[in-house]
Amino acid sequence: MSEVIPSNDNFTTSAGRQLLLFGLLAVAGIALLMIALSWATSLTSSTSGAVEGIDPATKTITLVLAEEPPQLNSTLATDQVSGMILGHLMEGLLRYDEHSQLTPGVAERWTIGEQEATFWLRDDARWSDGQAVTAHDFVFAWRTALDQANASEYAFILFPVKNAEAINNGKLPVEALGVTALDDRTLRVSLERPVAYFDKLVAFTTYFPIREDFYTATAGRYGADADTMIYNGPFALTRWVHGAHVRMEKNPYYWNSERVMIEVIDFPYVTTDPNASLNLFKDQKIAYTGLIEENLNEALVQRWHLHRFIDGSIFFMEFNHREGHPTANYHLRKAMQLALDPAELVYKVVKLPGYLPAESLFPIWLKGVEHNLRQEYPPPQVALDLQAAQRHLALAKEQLGVTELQPLVLLSGDNPLSNKQSEYYQATLKKRLGLDIRIDKQIFKQRLAKMTAGDFDMVLAGWGPDFDDPLTFGDLFASWNLNNRGRYANPELDAQVRIAQNSMDPRTRMDAFGEIQRILIEDAVVLMNYERGVVYVTDPRLKGLVRRAVGPDPDFTHVHIQEG
Amino acid sequence: MAEASQNDSPLSPDAFDLLHVERRVQSLSRPSLSYWQDAWIRLRANRRALISLYIVLGLLVFTLFGPLLWPVDPSAQDLDQISRPPGASRAAVIVDPYQPWDGKSFSPMQAPVQTGLRLAEPANAQAVRLLWDPMPGAAGYRIYRNIFPMNPGDALGLPLAETLTGADTTFEDRMDLRPRRYYYTIVALDGLGEETKAMEMLPVEVTRVITLEEAKERGLVGADAQLVPGNAVQLALHPLGTDYLGRDMLARLMYGARVSLFIGICAPFLFVLFGVVYGSASGFLGGRWDHLFMRFADFVIALPFLLFMILFKIAFGIGPGESGIMPMVVAMVMLSWPATARLVRGQILQIREEGYISASRLLGARTGYLVLRHMIPNTMGVILVTVTFAVPSAIFTEAFLSFIGMGVAPPTPSWGSMCNEGIKTMLTYPHELIFPAVFISITVLAFNLLGDGLRDALDARMRSRE
Repeated sequence: MSEVIPSNDNFTTSAGRQLLLFGLLAVAGIALLMIALSWATSLTSSTSGAVEGIDPATKTITLVLAEEPPQLNSTLATDQVSGMILGHLMEGLLRYDEHSQLTPGVAERWTIGEQEATFWLRDDARWSDGQAVTAHDFVFAWRTALDQANASEYAFILFPVKNAEAINNGKLPVEALGVTALDDRTLRVSLERPVAYFDKLVAFTTYFPIREDFYTATAGRYGADADTMIYNGPFALTRWVHGAHVRMEKNPYYWNSERVMIEVIDFPYVTTDPNASLNLFKDQKIAYTGLIEENLNEALVQRWHLHRFIDGSIFFMEFNHREGHPTANYHLRKAMQLALDPAELVYKVVKLPGYLPAESLFPIWLKGVEHNLRQEYPPPQVALDLQAAQRHLALAKEQLGVTELQPLVLLSGDNPLSNKQSEYYQATLKKRLGLDIRIDKQIFKQRLAKMTAGDFDMVLAGWGPDFDDPLTFGDLFASWNLNNRGRYANPELDAQVRIAQNSMDPRTRMDAFGEIQRILIEDAVVLMNYERGVVYVTDPRLKGLVRRAVGPDPDFTHVHIQEG
Repeated sequence: MAEASQNDSPLSPDAFDLLHVERRVQSLSRPSLSYWQDAWIRLRANRRALISLYIVLGLLVFTLFGPLLWPVDPSAQDLDQISRPPGASRAAVIVDPYQPWDGKSFSPMQAPVQTGLRLAEPANAQAVRLLWDPMPGAAGYRIYRNIFPMNPGDALGLPLAETLTGADTTFEDRMDLRPRRYYYTIVALDGLGEETKAMEMLPVEVTRVITLEEAKERGLVGADAQLVPGNAVQLALHPLGTDYLGRDMLARLMYGARVSLFIGICAPFLFVLFGVVYGSASGFLGGRWDHLFMRFADFVIALPFLLFMILFKIAFGIGPGESGIMPMVVAMVMLSWPATARLVRGQILQIREEGYISASRLLGARTGYLVLRHMIPNTMGVILVTVTFAVPSAIFTEAFLSFIGMGVAPPTPSWGSMCNEGIKTMLTYPHELIFPAVFISITVLAFNLLGDGLRDALDARMRSRE
């Protein structure tokens, strides 16, 4: 009988063998399926263009897009990604060159006076359908941007143009705007007040041209898709799958197309995840990636050539100066100013080279009269002084008539760095001043809504430059500025902002900025955090990438592919 | 015809004699055991379940009594020891407080006698102060720092800064310095800001330092200690390392366990209890009541959890930056019970038709007795399976909600939020992810195995198979 029915042990081994066989078969089957599937995907994707980060044969560079642009209507664009893409697709009267200097764009030459400015347009400037770019296109675009019905958030940047503010408030018709096309090639701008930096303004996105017949034909969908836009810049949008893919190809009608040395800029990936783009770069699927602090070690291990760049924005902790908020009290703000050290924040918490501890609202790169503004007007130094901070805190409590302050609400973004930063502030202010901080973490839109409503005690905020003049930062805390979220109101500061806005004399203006800087620090209006930096890595064959603090960044219009 | 054949046998008087007296009709071969004693014996026999039980008890001790034995503030930030793995050296040297450097003064012992790239002062974790001779034709310099030695042509590492003029030949590095060897390189830049071939390299050994004030403040030395710069001191001990802000991982795990275990045990216990009551009532009553009860349960299942969580948060008046644990428990209890209720109702419907229930009823048992004595114990297996599944899912729900900012508010830790923070530094500092993840895994596994064992132990039907 024992020959026929195997003993229990034998049964176990044979069952085990069977199981092993099934397991191996299953693994082999899955592996085969995966190979077949990857082969199938390569069949379909080979038609959709390059899969390599850089393709020298077709002069294509492939990149990852952090976010999908909300729309590409230049009168409505507010975010950095839209600004970057529009900088490749469009060209204003002036533009920035590879050394970030202003250079002629559509305008060949120009004169800017106290009352008016005149721009003479080049006659080889063309739209991507071959028609000429005329002065009328600028008139139409500026009127559209100021039209109340258009509700552009950046309309204020056109306010130096005569009647612009009244038009935007609905007090005057758009036709009253102080800009006229004398003929197809000449644009005359009447100014509301003398504007020393008007040449820098016209390089900004909101000043880009739009062609009226095309705009009307899109029936309100201008800039919503690749085929509802027309371009006058170095590139044209050829593919836009919302949330997934953006592709730009060289615009053959661009007047200066010789300077553009690549054919295609492709963004087949849209992700904000820095680890995802790091992996794409590792696999050579993209030609550029930014790095976060957590990935720096990996980048060193990979022995990549890293680059560093200060992106121009400045970050600060803004106080709510409205009545009823304890932060309206000078001594409380001063106590926090004396108890916090931006250097500690940058070197111990942020830990990313490129970031600089901020000392002033005016970043280090801003130009003054001859040298850098910060060299000519050194900001008052604030050193960590816990004893003085305690004295101010005691005064604050006395003035507020409390023995113990209520918890302060710190409004913060929801990105990893803001998390770290707000938790650092929470623990540090608790330890050094005994202040209780509650962190209110919100997504960008919600944070903006709460900032506008004044629903915070302190908020982590930042400001990026719109044009290359200290005024882009200088008027932030003027009492009338809607971006002054804490509603700080100080007639002394307002007077200085007026001087900086209206004067044409560089020395007078820079003196005013120096005063603004002094008031902001001495009155502890905001607490400076850092100037933001970027550490990035590019494919070694990619040359000529331009990074700039003001204007579209990064700028790929000057890149070329170096082989070998 | 067996009877017939028996009848054939002649009866003898012997047949009516008493053979022996059957004195012990029934005997208790084993001591009488109650239901729970019996269950406990069987649970003890199950080694996996027993170990799991000890682990669960150990976790409770860890979270309740751990902070008494390890009284470290879980939100205290030790910025000198950020992201430190467990077991790393913590020797440090006392130094003077940091003073800003004008780029001109040099420490006497390191007087610029050398040439080339060199240290202006001894390097420590406060600052590395570099100094070099102007290079011919340089319009500026770029400073790199690497953690590996480099061969010619290799990448130079992390670009730290650029100096703007050729005359600027000093640089101070304070960026996240750790006690290790760094390789600094300076590269001369030409007028356009492009790198030239001229470069110099210097390896620098960085030592960990602390100022006397900080050492006193953190209790590393006595408050009246008069140490001089140069003396050695041991930094605070962090047995499981520190996180991205230098907070003690062990203390955070202990406090995090409070939140995670509170949610993980409290919420399932409450909603399973309610589900059992509701389900058994529904199943026992039957008929129209059953129909009504179950349709209401269906209605509750259709309610979205996240929406209710937000509603409760508002209804509870939880402001920004305050803990959302209570609304989370309430929302879980109010919305998660129907699954248990359905299971229990199904069991009860089945059990109430069984013969022993009818027998018990005939013997005069009341409803309460029937439910508590017969029905609930017989559904215990199902209930325990539900609980064991509910515990890990509750812990995960808490982790998820903490992640989207609706759970614990910083600086309160929970295991879930610690994992979410740790995953960002997974490659560089794996201990920040591994410890909370291991704790979650062990807890979930222990609850699962314990539940498994309890089901076997409490199921009355398993008795016959012994």
